[in-house]
Amino acid sequence: MANRAQIPTKSSALIAMIADENGKGYKNYEDTVVGFLLAGVGNVDIRRKTNYLIVDSKTTVKQIEDAFKEFTTREDIAIVLISQYVANMIRFLVDSYNKPVPAILEIPSKDHPYDPAHDSVLSRVKYLFSTESVASGRR
Amino acid sequence: MEERHLIPESGVAADQEPSQEAVEVVNRREVRLRPGAEEKLVLQFMDSLNSYLSFSHSLSSTLGQAWMELASARHSMGTARLNTSLLDLKFHPASTTLKIAECDDDSVDAKARFVLRKWISSEEVGEDEDSNSTKSPEPADDDDEVCYSQVRRERAKSLSVFGILIPPKLRAAQQSFERALETLVEMANMQSSFLYSFHQLHQEVEDTKE
Repeated sequence: MANRAQIPTKSSALIAMIADENGKGYKNYEDTVVGFLLAGVGNVDIRRKTNYLIVDSKTTVKQIEDAFKEFTTREDIAIVLISQYVANMIRFLVDSYNKPVPAILEIPSKDHPYDPAHDSVLSRVKYLFSTESVASGRR
Repeated sequence: MEERHLIPESGVAADQEPSQEAVEVVNRREVRLRPGAEEKLVLQFMDSLNSYLSFSHSLSSTLGQAWMELASARHSMGTARLNTSLLDLKFHPASTTLKIAECDDDSVDAKARFVLRKWISSEEVGEDEDSNSTKSPEPADDDDEVCYSQVRRERAKSLSVFGILIPPKLRAAQQSFERALETLVEMANMQSSFLYSFHQLHQEVEDTKE
């Protein structure tokens, strides 16, 4: 018998973002983050901690991993948006995540369109159709 | 006839070891005992997966439009007036949040349901809003009029980070990103639904193998 999944109900939870800087050459813009902040999802708490991380050329993989781990363990976050390009940098970590909340959604960025073949969640359910597709499609 | 002989109440006859074929027949029979529930799960899985993929295509299109509008706004405002260096790190709560509810389809497992709450002022954070809609409220009577003016106020507050004179393209970009958020919340709900069905079906397959 499957264990009952605990869904933490909450009346006010945040949307976190881990998005990459996009643009070519010296002009790099963080359009995805700027755009969603315009839509009102930005949150800064008393300790000046934000619910977003902008990944630029100076951001290390460790910083991305730490941000992902932090956002997926915070109780006040319901959805984590992550650019698929950034998710590919920490693919092992994203693949190993399997909690229902917060939900992880891989989104496209300006320079890197969304590819369903690389989506962690879709790759997991492909198993239902073929046991070989997970190994062969993920290189 | 052979099936009836091989399926006693205990599952396996004590005086004989079941052959491979017999075990498969038993297992198929066990699966067939709950055809309605399993088919329902499969349909739910396929429907929600299909919806998830449709929403992801819609999201790509909406984001493409939003980026274009943002680029147009940046062209008219100048790069220095539209970038993340203008974001302050002073304490401020999010105006757009989510409500997480639990959907119980049966007693074994549950799935999450996300509801978008757009442009909620900081005073209303923590109140239990009775709404399953992901759209902004439209003015229909006095109470909705108050909500609508609050939405406009919160939208203007969000835009004011980038200055006082806001070009129409930036407002359009804001609305596009709001639409993208609505799509993302629907994607999260579809993801929750097909993962729930997937786990149920996976459990069914594992139980069958045993």
